[in-house]
Amino acid sequence: MSVQLNINNKDYVVEVAPMKRLLDVLREDIGLTGTKEGCGEGECGACSVFIDGSVVNSCLVPVCQTNGSKITTVEGLSNNELSKLQQAFIDCNAAQCGICIPGMLIAAQALLDLNPNPSRGEIREAIAGNLCRCTGYMKIVDAIEIAATANKG
Amino acid sequence: MITMPQFRVLQPENVSQAVEFLAKHKNLRVLAGGSDLVVNLRNKLFTPEYVLDIKGIKDLQGIKENQDHFSIGTLTTLTEISQNPFIKEIYPVLAKAAGLVAGPNIRNMGTIGGNICLDTRCYWYNQSYFWRKSCNFCLKKDGDICHVAPGGKYCWAAYSGDTAPALLTLDASIKIANPKGEKTLALKDFFVMDGIKKYNLESNEIITEILIPKASAGLQGVYKKFRIRDSVDYPLAGVAIAGKVDKEGNCQKISVALTAVNPAPVLVTEITDLLVGKKLTDDLVEKSVELARKTAKPMKTTLSTMPYRRHMIGVFVKQGLEEILK
Repeated sequence: MSVQLNINNKDYVVEVAPMKRLLDVLREDIGLTGTKEGCGEGECGACSVFIDGSVVNSCLVPVCQTNGSKITTVEGLSNNELSKLQQAFIDCNAAQCGICIPGMLIAAQALLDLNPNPSRGEIREAIAGNLCRCTGYMKIVDAIEIAATANKG
Repeated sequence: MITMPQFRVLQPENVSQAVEFLAKHKNLRVLAGGSDLVVNLRNKLFTPEYVLDIKGIKDLQGIKENQDHFSIGTLTTLTEISQNPFIKEIYPVLAKAAGLVAGPNIRNMGTIGGNICLDTRCYWYNQSYFWRKSCNFCLKKDGDICHVAPGGKYCWAAYSGDTAPALLTLDASIKIANPKGEKTLALKDFFVMDGIKKYNLESNEIITEILIPKASAGLQGVYKKFRIRDSVDYPLAGVAIAGKVDKEGNCQKISVALTAVNPAPVLVTEITDLLVGKKLTDDLVEKSVELARKTAKPMKTTLSTMPYRRHMIGVFVKQGLEEILK
């Protein structure tokens, strides 16, 4: 079927099988490989993207359900230069192997959009659906906290 | 590599169109939020010819007030239910249960109707086709032996929904649409104690609304669940309790429901009979814990052990009763 998508403020029309996962469409048909596949069963959150403003796991979304939707992937967070959040992740060494980071950034951005001044507890809750097997989360939480402080200043 | 098989997708715009599709096509699965079905389709646990995608039906979303019920549309997301100030105020047990389903991303996608209709889960079932084939499959799908209870012909796969036990304590019912029209069924009559049949929903029926009586509004509620990873997992043992005490501190109403320890969520009505009209004492707590532990029949369907899951049921019942009735 033909699916219309607005991804990172750019319009696309793709001809794909209706049950193809949004994750595969983004990576294979659109060429946006920032979004990663971790577990493929909705447990790890590495494939998180925004669909019409809410964060979902793109490995569980058949593309037919997103016809006409506005999608933001990790590539859409930066505008030529890194966002404050991305810079904070670099400054804090929050990425080790890095495969969870696109999902972490999306989940963190969703939190900061709603709550510009979150507590550490709220940060941990917001990234509950995103698993990281390297960092132990401390530096990721630090980075989100610093990005929130930078937002205020 | 696990790939997505291809299906014909039907996208009705309203309930009557959906019902027409349900009447016309026999080999069909209903897709709502997708968080349960998409994984199962990829693992070839279901092999339908058609997928009926109801996500676009606007009438099935949101919370409405009727004469003596509040009605929740089947497509209302778990995030919406867990954060809705009104639900939090009058049906706290439901808001808490919805807020503990999986992680935030899944709650943004998952719907209440889908959560009620969650497939039963078992270590031997929720695996890829390749994995299941290498074990000669199982009773629930493609095979004729049960690895959990060898020799038996009964499927022990555990029902693992979080919102159904909460809704059971609130005496909820569901509205079902089918080609003949509409019917309403009490939620406690919906579930079947069988891991394969799971519930009384025919292949040509969909749940359209969840009805919660106004008589259950204002009950205090708790929902507690045990899982391996507290941020994302399905429950391995779960307890929902709703109730209230009167002015003298006697128990006026109490319902306790268990999940994830049987092939269906169950109300432990014996606890209601035991406690109503009485003040909660340590002795009554102990008796209630024993009743709940007897009702729970966890089997080796997960990597966690059966005695531990049953033990946690007892712990949650004790904690919950003390929170609500003391």
